[in-house]
Amino acid sequence: MAATYPPDQHLLRDLRISFEHRTDTTSGARMPVVPALAAPDGSVRAGALATLVDVIGGGLAATVAHPSWIATADLTLHLYGAAVEGDVEADARVVHAGRTTVVIEVDLRAVPGASIGLATMSFAALPRRAGNPDVTTSTAPGPSTMALEGSSLRRPLLDELEVRVVDPARGELEAPVGEWSRNSLGAMQGGAVATLIDAAATTAVNVRASEPLVVTDLQITYLALSRSGPLRTRVDLLAADTEHAEARVEVVDGGASARRTALARIVASRSLRTGR
Amino acid sequence: MSAGTPRGFGGPETGRDVTRYMRVELHETEPSADGAPRVVGTAPAADHLRGPDGGVRAGALLAILDSVGGLCGGLAALPDAWVVSTNMSARTLTREHRGPFRVEAGVLRKGRTSVVTGIEIRDSGARDAIVVDGVLTSALLVPQAGPPRWERPMSLPVAPPLPEPVPPLPEWMGARPIDGNTMEMPLPDALRNPWGILHGGVVVSLADLAAEHVTRRTTTDVVLHFLAPNRVGPVRATATELGRRSDGVVSRVEVREHGAGRVTALAVVTSA
Repeated sequence: MAATYPPDQHLLRDLRISFEHRTDTTSGARMPVVPALAAPDGSVRAGALATLVDVIGGGLAATVAHPSWIATADLTLHLYGAAVEGDVEADARVVHAGRTTVVIEVDLRAVPGASIGLATMSFAALPRRAGNPDVTTSTAPGPSTMALEGSSLRRPLLDELEVRVVDPARGELEAPVGEWSRNSLGAMQGGAVATLIDAAATTAVNVRASEPLVVTDLQITYLALSRSGPLRTRVDLLAADTEHAEARVEVVDGGASARRTALARIVASRSLRTGR
Repeated sequence: MSAGTPRGFGGPETGRDVTRYMRVELHETEPSADGAPRVVGTAPAADHLRGPDGGVRAGALLAILDSVGGLCGGLAALPDAWVVSTNMSARTLTREHRGPFRVEAGVLRKGRTSVVTGIEIRDSGARDAIVVDGVLTSALLVPQAGPPRWERPMSLPVAPPLPEPVPPLPEWMGARPIDGNTMEMPLPDALRNPWGILHGGVVVSLADLAAEHVTRRTTTDVVLHFLAPNRVGPVRATATELGRRSDGVVSRVEVREHGAGRVTALAVVTSA
């Protein structure tokens, strides 16, 4: 791992997210909508939105859990609208902060536009270890960003993650755990894992669909850190018709004896873009 | 997350009124290859559990999921602790139910503070079609009198039939609408779990009823976070429609312990 986190070339910098941390138990963030984040219908893909949710939710959870550290236990995302231009705004708030768990709720809004989705996350509070980042400076009240001058996505998000399709019908995709997508614990960032899940599901459901389907719901349970790589996905299609699909997605870490690191349920539907 | 005052873990029948009503039978089976417990349950697709569309209500299915997944998680926590549900996410895949249901729960992960179980409900009368696919996360807690000491492998046969006519789920819960968005129910002892708090399956059923009340549709998908125990009734669930899409309506449901004036659960419900 690089000595400083995140390194100059990193997912969290290249998404160009700007933050507005507040003194209460809420936090805001904005992510520019760029073509590199697009799903098959041209709107921002669920995995990219999950990454925004993970970043803002994780920061807020780490702040309220301080001095304990946190581990993401699960992330859910329900979309009912699409972001196709401008920014996506995320507004996060703490709905529970206990001794062992923190629960965060995140509203997503297209700017300009309307509310497009609701996400929830829960975190396990863990004893702080040496090496856990000190978030009290990075989440101090006021505006901030991790982007550097020149930070940007130069290729589609899945290409940046080096995602490779092995078997589209089975949703078998593979991606390395590279420095660009690692979190502070050295594992693939939770939002990047969500993007891999989104990509696997999108690939599998669109093998059979008559028109492109996009992932609208993600329910991800994180079971272990994805540290080694390559990560591999497998999709079990549970229900599908021409305009709707439901599936279960499994992520295993090929470099860690194929240990299962995440399990997800997804819903894919016709585009949520208005007028389609 | 805190639990209520333990109602008692003296015997496996304690706090089982909900599973009695659902007519759930539970059996611990051979452990998995890594030694983690597995639990298999059965339940009928009983008439008193069915909703307006003729299928068994999602709330009832998730109450069954909570019971079977919770027992599996609890057995994984033994001998040092027991569990209390902290969140569940589940999707119903079919709304035509013949029954009986076969429910299988296994441990996906056991950590120092929590257990995650995966649960599948299948319809034995419909060629084992998957009815529900879900995950239940539970926190490890030590009851005041210590964790239960039960004979293993654990087996909880179905209780004697309830006197006829068995009330439908909303009536049994005492749930009633109090405005256009809110359902309210009392908190009788019969609906408490062994921790002495409102059973998680009843909480999710109340959220289901609130979403149905607002959308006039059938719940297909629930994500629910248990935020605090419900100890003092009445308990209210308020649903707010967030948006619509081709497969239904997405709603946010907030459950409040009205007696204590606090939010006790947050759910996102999709209704078709």
